[in-house]
Amino acid sequence: MSNPAYLTIAEASKLIAARKLSPVELTEACLGRIASLDHLLDSFVTLTAERARTEAKAAEAAVMAGQPLGRLHGIPYCLKDIFDTAGIRTTAMSKLLADNVPARDAWCQEKMVAAGGVLLGKNATWEFAHGGPSWDVLFPPARNPWNRDHSPAGSSSGSAAAVAAGFSPATLGSDTGGSIRGPAAACGIAGLKPTYGLVSRRGVIPNCFTHDHAGPLAWTTEDVAILMQVIAGHDPEDPGSADVPIPDYLAALTGDVKGLVIGVPVAWLETESPLTPATKAAFDAALDVFRGLGATVRPVTLPLLQQFDDAKKTIAVAELFTIHGKDLRTRPELFGASLRYRIIAGGLVRAEEYIQAQRLRTDLARAMQKVMASIDLLMLPTSEPAGKLEPVPPASLFTKLSFMTPFNVGGNPALSVCSGFNQAGLPFSLQIVGRLFDDATVLRAGDAYEKATPWRDRRPSL
Amino acid sequence: MTDTPSQDEIVRLARQAGLDLPPAYLQELVEAYGHVRTMIGRIPTERPHGDEPAHTFVPQKFLPAKE
Repeated sequence: MSNPAYLTIAEASKLIAARKLSPVELTEACLGRIASLDHLLDSFVTLTAERARTEAKAAEAAVMAGQPLGRLHGIPYCLKDIFDTAGIRTTAMSKLLADNVPARDAWCQEKMVAAGGVLLGKNATWEFAHGGPSWDVLFPPARNPWNRDHSPAGSSSGSAAAVAAGFSPATLGSDTGGSIRGPAAACGIAGLKPTYGLVSRRGVIPNCFTHDHAGPLAWTTEDVAILMQVIAGHDPEDPGSADVPIPDYLAALTGDVKGLVIGVPVAWLETESPLTPATKAAFDAALDVFRGLGATVRPVTLPLLQQFDDAKKTIAVAELFTIHGKDLRTRPELFGASLRYRIIAGGLVRAEEYIQAQRLRTDLARAMQKVMASIDLLMLPTSEPAGKLEPVPPASLFTKLSFMTPFNVGGNPALSVCSGFNQAGLPFSLQIVGRLFDDATVLRAGDAYEKATPWRDRRPSL
Repeated sequence: MTDTPSQDEIVRLARQAGLDLPPAYLQELVEAYGHVRTMIGRIPTERPHGDEPAHTFVPQKFLPAKE
């Protein structure tokens, strides 16, 4: 693959450090692909091409001056359009924020700038990272690069599509019920919802405070580890931020998963929300890869998926209404229909009901951590392959069970990686879940799996 | 939780929440609230008095940031 835009962060950073690739050349390769192909995907809502060129030139000058360089130095990246960017419009896809220009960068953006990253622009999302896909909001929804008639899922839709399409090697998204992992799964890339509190949410427009996570998406798990090294850390300005040591995530990628015990929530997959035969076959094949690498697999029992959904969604609808109540009362017509439907009933949730849902969350989180203490990792599909990009009944948010939401409720780290392709050429996905703050083991397993399988060799053609 | 409220009752609850909605949006609310009521109806409520919610107050989180 000769176009530098297809290089992973790990590959590009080695070439940049060796002065075999200029950040300017890499940035121009990404901007060129975006300019010629993004009209097919609508993955960007704002391009910052001139800023990117300026940052790339500065990065190149630092290389030539022999300055010490981090792994992200001179690497292009993009951000879901809910991360505040000083002086750059941040809309959350909403007509309500059409003219919103933050004065200060989000924590994550500060870290990416300090690491020498090159900002390409802002990515399409679902309105306020919750309602979608929508055609009645500020921008059209992003499309899936594996098949443009299919959805890239949501809500970090444009972020995942941009990485899979070779527009950017890195992006950051947010995940309240699966919004990093779902798009990563649909677009066949790697995406990590870190442990709750490991990455600051300061400057990320909230969806639901108690379940929001910020995290990285990239083509490989190794690249996700590089990004985590940059953005993880304690932020006193985020009340949910954890003050814990940050390990060396790259050093954790040993390729060795021998002896790890992998749990599988069989009742979820066979009874409560049965997999399609093709997805089950792909999942079984992924487990066989881990067995072949020396891990053991055994069934585990977790509380019902339905309970996780009920707790999370009751809490979320109340918190969302709290955030958007003023606008719902005064200018409801400015919301997209999907988001409005999904949050408006939050105004009728009583305090007692919200707190009972928080009590249920306590039970579920305890049950989750008890099971996780008995295994090293939990594995299950992230989701079924991507569906068509078409309007979905907004009520589906309330009625459709998710394999991702339980780990927002528990706060556990959860990574989605590509685990093959179906007959239509759409990616299958594997979700790897770890103990709290053991994101390193999750990344180790994802990296080992990717290196033992051929799925990283295939890119979508546009 | 009691039985699902009537449309008139939902209008009253909405007004109590400051939502004076046009008819089209009111229909959205009625339908969406039905789903929310179903979810809430599945959440257990018989608990010991001391059961803590998951979102607890940690005062150290709100100390001023160090310079």
